[in-house]
Amino acid sequence: MAEAYDLIVVGAGPAGLTAAIYAARARIRTLVIDESMPGGQVKTTHKVSNYPGFPEDVTGAELAQKFTRQAERFGAKIARAVEITEFDLRSEPKRFVLDEEDEVTAPAVIVATGARPRELGVEGEKKFKGRGISYCATCDGAYFEDKDIHVIGGGNSAVEESLFLTQFARSITIVHQFDHFQAEASIAHEALEHPKIKVIWDSEPRGFYGEKSLQRLRIENVKTHEMQELTTDGVFVFIGMVPQTEWLKGVVELDKWGYVPTDETMATSVPGLFVAGDIRVKRFRQITTAVADGTIAALAAQKYVRDRRA
Amino acid sequence: MSGYVKEIDQSLYESEVIGSTEPVVLDFFSTECPPCEALAPKYEAVAEQFAGKVKFCKIFRQGNRELAQKLGVTGSPTLLFFRNGREVGERLSGEIKRTELKRAVEQLVG
Repeated sequence: MAEAYDLIVVGAGPAGLTAAIYAARARIRTLVIDESMPGGQVKTTHKVSNYPGFPEDVTGAELAQKFTRQAERFGAKIARAVEITEFDLRSEPKRFVLDEEDEVTAPAVIVATGARPRELGVEGEKKFKGRGISYCATCDGAYFEDKDIHVIGGGNSAVEESLFLTQFARSITIVHQFDHFQAEASIAHEALEHPKIKVIWDSEPRGFYGEKSLQRLRIENVKTHEMQELTTDGVFVFIGMVPQTEWLKGVVELDKWGYVPTDETMATSVPGLFVAGDIRVKRFRQITTAVADGTIAALAAQKYVRDRRA
Repeated sequence: MSGYVKEIDQSLYESEVIGSTEPVVLDFFSTECPPCEALAPKYEAVAEQFAGKVKFCKIFRQGNRELAQKLGVTGSPTLLFFRNGREVGERLSGEIKRTELKRAVEQLVG
């Protein structure tokens, strides 16, 4: 027997959990499903300094827990570590099969599956993933105590996480494709002043090599095209994100980068299907903008559910 | 605690993993690791499904650094697969889906 809800939210990041808070408070029976633990990208972010209400900074893990507790307090049900193995977003009601066995349905769905770290697409990257290459500093930082490591990227994540990694690693060399950081000035300055951090500008990785685990990386200076091979104990990659919308291909319209266009109520081209957060076509992707999207999507979905009942 | 997943330390690696007559899955996990937390219930469920055919072990990385280093494990979670005392197949690491895990274990039993 399928379990019936008013609203199913796919993805328990800031957008999805905010949608759940609003919907559950409005007495909309809400199920949130996530293939991992709740929190989305926030849960593995070491420190959040720009989310209002936390003047002393907050760890990503703590913020994720607070979002989750707040949604659950109002009665939203959160299914953790479940996988969607079958779905129909055009049926009436919309339906999902979870872990090949549990069927759930709802007239309205908010998709907030966010984004995952972009991979470099460079030789050896797949081979050494988990053998020296990592995309999560909070998960794997402790493996590199007193090691000499490299960080690829120069945006907020790369620089923030490099600073976090200084508590473990002996030295961190940031390899960045431009001649300056894209990160906010305050943390960029902190990184440049840090005794453990060095930067190689204008360079991109071209290959990863080693026996059992990663030992060397090859980089190219994009201005001089000079190649250089560096010895390394580990590489952390923070070069942006890709939207997790592959599963929506053919269901809703996607732009050429895979993001979902919406109107200002977060509605998509499919009736009853809303999207929120990083997977939307928009200019800025922040926790605060995800939270705003989640709010709007929940209010719009609520109206959709109520209108259908009337 | 589950009856299907056995927690070991590096002193038991030889006897429980290398010396096992059954195929073995070995999970390196850490604390403060959301993908490890997310894997735990799936690992449990798949272990139950393959009970009697495959041995499921887990090992705490922070307490067993030498073994992690020896095996070249540098991320959590990492799953290693063993048959007749030798590592086989591809390792899984990071966010691991239940279906992905099941497929890997099916391959392990052949």
